Amino acid sequence: MTSLLDVRNLHAFYGKTAALHGITFQVDEGSVTALLGANGAGKTTTLRAISGMIKRSGEIFLREGSLMKSQTEDIARLGVAHVPEGRGTFAKQTVENNLRLGAISRQDKAGVAGDMEMVYGLFPILKKRRTQQAGLLSGGEQQMLAVGRALMLRPKLLLLDEPSFGLAPLVVREMFGIFRRLNKEQGVSILLVEQNASIALDLADHAYLIETGRIVLAGTSADMRNNEQLRNSYLGY
Amino acid sequence: MELLGQQLTAGIASGTIYACIALALVMIYQAIGHVNFAQGEMAMFSTFIAWQLMRWGLPYWAAFAGATVISFAGGVLIDRLMFRPIRTAAVLTQIVMFVGLLAVLNSAAGFIWDFTSKPFPPPFGADPLLGSRLVSTHQATMVVATFLLLVLLYVFFRNTRVGLAMQSATEDPVSASLVGIRVEWMIALGWGMAAAIGAIAGMLIAPVVFLEPNMMRGILLYGFAAAVLGGLSSPGGAVFGGFAVGIIENLAGTYIPVVGGELKLTIALFIIISVLVVRPTGLFGATHTPRV
Amino acid sequence: MVDLSEIASGFRHASGGIVGVGRGRNRQVAIAIETIAILAILPFVLHPFFVFQVTMVLIYAIAIIGLNLLTGFNGQLSLGHAAFYAIGAYTAAIMMNSFGVSYFWTLPAAAVICFMFGFLFGLPALRLDGVYLALATFALSVATPQILKIHIFEQWTGGVQGLVIAKPDAPLGLPLTQDQWLYFFTLAVTIIMYVAATNLIRTRTGRAMMAIRDNPLAARSMGINNPIYKAVTFGVSGLYTGIAGTLGAIVVQFVAPDSFTIYLSVAFLVGLVVGGVGWLPGAFFGAAFILFVPNVAEHFSQGLSGAVYGLMLIVIMLVMPGGFAGAVRIVSSFLKKPSV
Repeated sequence: MTSLLDVRNLHAFYGKTAALHGITFQVDEGSVTALLGANGAGKTTTLRAISGMIKRSGEIFLREGSLMKSQTEDIARLGVAHVPEGRGTFAKQTVENNLRLGAISRQDKAGVAGDMEMVYGLFPILKKRRTQQAGLLSGGEQQMLAVGRALMLRPKLLLLDEPSFGLAPLVVREMFGIFRRLNKEQGVSILLVEQNASIALDLADHAYLIETGRIVLAGTSADMRNNEQLRNSYLGY
Repeated sequence: MELLGQQLTAGIASGTIYACIALALVMIYQAIGHVNFAQGEMAMFSTFIAWQLMRWGLPYWAAFAGATVISFAGGVLIDRLMFRPIRTAAVLTQIVMFVGLLAVLNSAAGFIWDFTSKPFPPPFGADPLLGSRLVSTHQATMVVATFLLLVLLYVFFRNTRVGLAMQSATEDPVSASLVGIRVEWMIALGWGMAAAIGAIAGMLIAPVVFLEPNMMRGILLYGFAAAVLGGLSSPGGAVFGGFAVGIIENLAGTYIPVVGGELKLTIALFIIISVLVVRPTGLFGATHTPRV
Repeated sequence: MVDLSEIASGFRHASGGIVGVGRGRNRQVAIAIETIAILAILPFVLHPFFVFQVTMVLIYAIAIIGLNLLTGFNGQLSLGHAAFYAIGAYTAAIMMNSFGVSYFWTLPAAAVICFMFGFLFGLPALRLDGVYLALATFALSVATPQILKIHIFEQWTGGVQGLVIAKPDAPLGLPLTQDQWLYFFTLAVTIIMYVAATNLIRTRTGRAMMAIRDNPLAARSMGINNPIYKAVTFGVSGLYTGIAGTLGAIVVQFVAPDSFTIYLSVAFLVGLVVGGVGWLPGAFFGAAFILFVPNVAEHFSQGLSGAVYGLMLIVIMLVMPGGFAGAVRIVSSFLKKPSV
């Protein structure tokens, strides 16, 4: 399995405070990898570091190229679509403009149009609301919009930050079903950050457990699910 | 009745001037998320550049184009050197930066070109329009130019990718960079465009008020009021606001007794403020309902 | 509920004395006493003109503290403080000239008038924010000189030419020159008002003000009555700058409409930012800046004095975006041991 994302000894900082203390992990091409951990463990920080949003040191490779010297917008243009905590939708723009913005760095107009139809196919409710202001959508709809916008980039790697946050269980299941389809049918590699370990392990092939800025456990999702310590602390059984 | 007609026409005439500047202010507000308090001085300086180019022998339209292009570059430079380093600083810090820029431009213009009023040629002459008694060619030019700019800006923001990117860069810079928008370039571009529009506005206004370093003082204030009245997120509102301010100012000065010309500006401003108290984001400003 | 008694007690506390202001502030009190000792000697060693200038620095500092309370601590941007300064100044001038009142009583009168005016302006301004509030206060600055020039009021305001005010003598036959007496008088008022402001910030009222600045929605949900607090803050702010204006009129002995324009409001704002927003001691640095730097700029170059001044502002904003407050913060964190 070739690795798509190769993170080595990553440190990340908020100002002077270190939030990640040298983590190492990989995301294989075509796989779903999960980062698990409690609140404040450093999962979101990891995604932010990959996207170049905070100060970082160490090594981050996307295929052959290093991301360490790149700015956020360049990393996005390399095909890394980041759906942040809080969704990050442009509240004052329409749903359709939000999707257009997802593809704003692309040159192929035909491809973009096709992708928009694809996104509307995945999320029919967005098509219904295409001319509405994004800020007026419900939480679940905004999550769909955020994912849709990320897909408009035609990403190689999808970074998902707590996609289940604040959503009803039914909506979460639907959402994760779509993630599975994207991964299996379109080969989109996913790096998933989730507090909900159970649903994350259902989707993921591999998982890493982060505690206070360090990786403490790693393995296939089956291994992780059988791990005593993990079961007790994060799965509740 | 004749007086009313005259005052209305005069109001529309000065209103065009305010609309021009208001448009530039709204433009830069859309582009960088701040009101450019130095817009007036920038427009004045650009007009002086055009004047100087003509003194050096360039024909009018070459000087016009030259001044616009130089202003564009100047706007980008101002952003890169002065505002980019304090992008994340407090709003008040940025306001003081504007004050500094204002002072430099005004003083430099006075030093280079002195404070005497200079005539500035109108692009199409100032004769009465087709013999009409009410409107001169230049007034018509200003109205047409303002609407043309308005249409161009509208199309730019609504229908082009760059326009959309620019708006979102202002609204949410972090999300914008996550979709690959080069936020810093967008802001610099916005500055350049605002400077260019300001140059055009200045070159249209100068034939009426005569070119001198303080020519934009009062006008910027009215333009600011017009932009706020119309709503800072609406280019159309800015133009409407400009005409409204022009008319209100003239009518108030004529018809409100006791104070006459002395309090024209004050009355106009207080009327605008009353509107703001009822509609805090201006007449046509987008009311964004935040989800708590 | 706004505790007006807290504001009043702040003043009472201040006029009673500086000692005993809060726990663990001994070092700050020591610095304050040292500073005041130096300030007390100044008028006896300096040339009278410099005494006048230092007096003006103190006066402008009070004005800037007023602006700081509103803009720095309560988050309401104001480009209109020249108006309050003017009201204070003209209150003194009119009371002294038209009604023969002693200069001393003009201060409390101006305090009341300016508080009321600030409060009444603050009420409709409640709904305005940011740029819109800036325009509203801007209008205030523009209106002030125009209103002062209206013919009807001329017999009191002196119209365009303004009013000349008699310079008061030192009371009780003290062996001080007029300049020296005014200096000490101003110094006393400055100290009282400064301590009152620091006390205000530390009370519940002060914290409510800052809560409104930082997160108005959260403040409201915690039961803070935003409208009342914001309007009262406007009033207090007006009171401070108004008193500065009153002192200014007495010290300069002259008031005229064109002294109180938007440029004065902008100058206060510049002084606020250069000194440091939300940091009370900064007012003195800011006041010194706006009083002395324009003169320094003129020394550099007559024709380009405005450009030099502007350039200095630009450089200071680039190097010290937080004003003197920011610089002090950086230096003190550099000197402290880093916390692990």
